Amino acid sequence: MKKLLALALAMVMVLGLAACGGTVTSTETPAPAETATTPADTAAPADAAPATASAITLWTYPIGGWGNEETVKALTDAFTAETGIAVTVEYLTYADGDDKVNTALTANQAPDLIMEGPERLVSNWGANGYMVNIADLFDAADKSELNAAALDACFADANTAYEYPLVMTAHCMGINLNAFKEAGADQYINTETHTWTTEQFISAVNALEAKFGGTVGAVYCSGQGGDQGTRALVNNLYGGTFTNAEHTQYTWDDAKNIQALKELYDLKGIAFDPSLVGGDEIALFYNGTLKMAFCWNIAQQLNPNSADTGAEKTANGDDIVFMAFPSEDGNAKLQGGIWGFGIFDNGDQGRIDAAKQFIQFMCDSDHTVDAVRAANFFPARTTVDAWSDNPIMGEYNKLMPMLGDYYQVTTGWAQARTAWWNMLQQVGQSDGSEAAIKAAVDQFCAEANAGT
Amino acid sequence: MANQPSMSRALARRENIAGYLFMLPSLIFFVGFVVIPMVLCVYTSFFDSNMNQNTPDVFIGFANYAELWKDPVFIKALKNTFIIVFVSVPVVCIFSLWVASAIYRMKDSIMSLFRIIFYLPVVTGSVAVTVVWKWIYNNYYGVLNYLLKGMGVIDQNINWLGDQRFALWGIIIILLTTSVGQPIVLYVSALGNVDATLVEAAEVDGASDLQSFWKIRWPLIMPTTLYILVITTINSFQCFALIQLLTSGGPNYATETVMYYIYYTAFKLYRFGYGNAMGVILAIFIGLLSAVQFRLAKET
Repeated sequence: MKKLLALALAMVMVLGLAACGGTVTSTETPAPAETATTPADTAAPADAAPATASAITLWTYPIGGWGNEETVKALTDAFTAETGIAVTVEYLTYADGDDKVNTALTANQAPDLIMEGPERLVSNWGANGYMVNIADLFDAADKSELNAAALDACFADANTAYEYPLVMTAHCMGINLNAFKEAGADQYINTETHTWTTEQFISAVNALEAKFGGTVGAVYCSGQGGDQGTRALVNNLYGGTFTNAEHTQYTWDDAKNIQALKELYDLKGIAFDPSLVGGDEIALFYNGTLKMAFCWNIAQQLNPNSADTGAEKTANGDDIVFMAFPSEDGNAKLQGGIWGFGIFDNGDQGRIDAAKQFIQFMCDSDHTVDAVRAANFFPARTTVDAWSDNPIMGEYNKLMPMLGDYYQVTTGWAQARTAWWNMLQQVGQSDGSEAAIKAAVDQFCAEANAGT
Repeated sequence: MANQPSMSRALARRENIAGYLFMLPSLIFFVGFVVIPMVLCVYTSFFDSNMNQNTPDVFIGFANYAELWKDPVFIKALKNTFIIVFVSVPVVCIFSLWVASAIYRMKDSIMSLFRIIFYLPVVTGSVAVTVVWKWIYNNYYGVLNYLLKGMGVIDQNINWLGDQRFALWGIIIILLTTSVGQPIVLYVSALGNVDATLVEAAEVDGASDLQSFWKIRWPLIMPTTLYILVITTINSFQCFALIQLLTSGGPNYATETVMYYIYYTAFKLYRFGYGNAMGVILAIFIGLLSAVQFRLAKET
């Protein structure tokens, strides 16, 4: 009896934890969106529509200043003052935000609005049937004014949009200019165009390593945080690709990426570091330990490490210069970041309508400029002039034409992301031979493709 | 006299009802948050269950269970989990008993001081503990590398959590520091409760310190030992927070544990059915090991 009791108790403890992972959702599936799916729906008589809700909830990832309560409150207060709709905001982190949202979704407790990029809103939650189709929010003027790449990424197909884009940027890398000068590596960078070639990058890393010793740049791979940087680094070095143009297959097992990984492995100043994610790398770059950061963008350039210690400066006061990723001909294809709003389908048309009002207020009104400036990124709407008074943004704008393919909408993105950093770990722990690197690349690329 | 039995029955019924009513709040929580999820876990493990609302869950029988044994990451996670259990459980028990034996006869104030010191990591939040250990192990400016280099033990920094040769042992060391507090407190209490007259009688009969410990104290603290063994085993099997916060199972799956793989499968890959099947298997292993511990303790 005692044994049975012990067995039962042990099972209860483990299963209680494991069961938090999910439920059979078939009986609890919320009603599919029957409204707001086509532009025609919005033409319904006003008296037939349910009353707009007076309160909605927004969950936002830390997208520049949209992770800052004070900044966001000013925006939501303005929205409430104009519409009378109160907004409750919850601030997510990239470390556990996905878990919180997924848990909420499976428990039918999702927020009304979510702010993030198409890789989550379109490819993940949208594809899995949790989002409201907001294609009716895009009229002809919107479609002509919004950046074409951003617009395209927000649509799952010609008639289905799960995200309304607000801001965008090009991800890049940052370098410590003082360290580069000290090591004589500044001769390898062009601070006018912010570009360099693969050969110049290798020379710079070697010069820095010779001067400072140890690791000067880290291929961080503890998790998916900031993985756009390592993908762009590897893809650009020798012109490899991450997916095919149709976004139906992962192609990072091509020979050019294997060559890039081999080159990075062989560079003494570069370490594959499975104890770091992008945020850790930024912190090490900011405190001067690393001389270059692969996880960088304009928000970091304006406020390095979110430390409020001055734009374009490390903790020691060294100058930070943003650079495109190195490529053989110096013409990089940068990873784009697109962020905007999507609406979770909670089956309440009043709340959906209120959420749509919020999106229009932030993304398609006179207030859009404030919403954009809060994010510290560039407006997705080309008619919005948010940064003409900011010289750093003006300089950074030189990178925007280098935006490459926005492939994060490829099916199986979540699995591909995890396969990528696991692959980097295996490469880093290998003997560095081309065969070992190829084996790791092939294995994890196949895993990623299994999810497509 | 004739209606006394019926009055007793009524009294007993009333007391029973009162007893159940007192139990009801906990029972509701237990059923709602433990029993029902447990049943759902077993049930879902027989389905190909994912997040997609557009595709219904498909009953696949034992396919998830069959797949587990062909999944190299699960096998690696299981192996790592057993290493953690088989290293940490004996070390925690022996170290706790040693410390408790050393301090339980000290003055109350000194004994309390030691209990506070050893219990501090238990009451400190996992996040705070891991942040401190992350600094200690840091590859670039960690104090451990600094000390070892200063002592001439190593000549180059070691990436303790980023090198597959060291990462799991790094995790086990942290786990030990957070696991010994409660057993020490329990052992101090258990040793203090051993009847001193029995020990004195044995010593009068010529028993050595070792004999009096082995023949008198050890059997008397056996229930405490059994409890410590079982809870340490379960805690070790369920090692999760340290992995999630420090290594995410890496590098190269070197610190992947079953608990972390369950989370990863369910919340990163959205394969709820597969993750729940792992949960069931883990529960069976924990149950079996606990049963073995009960049996061995009974025989001892």
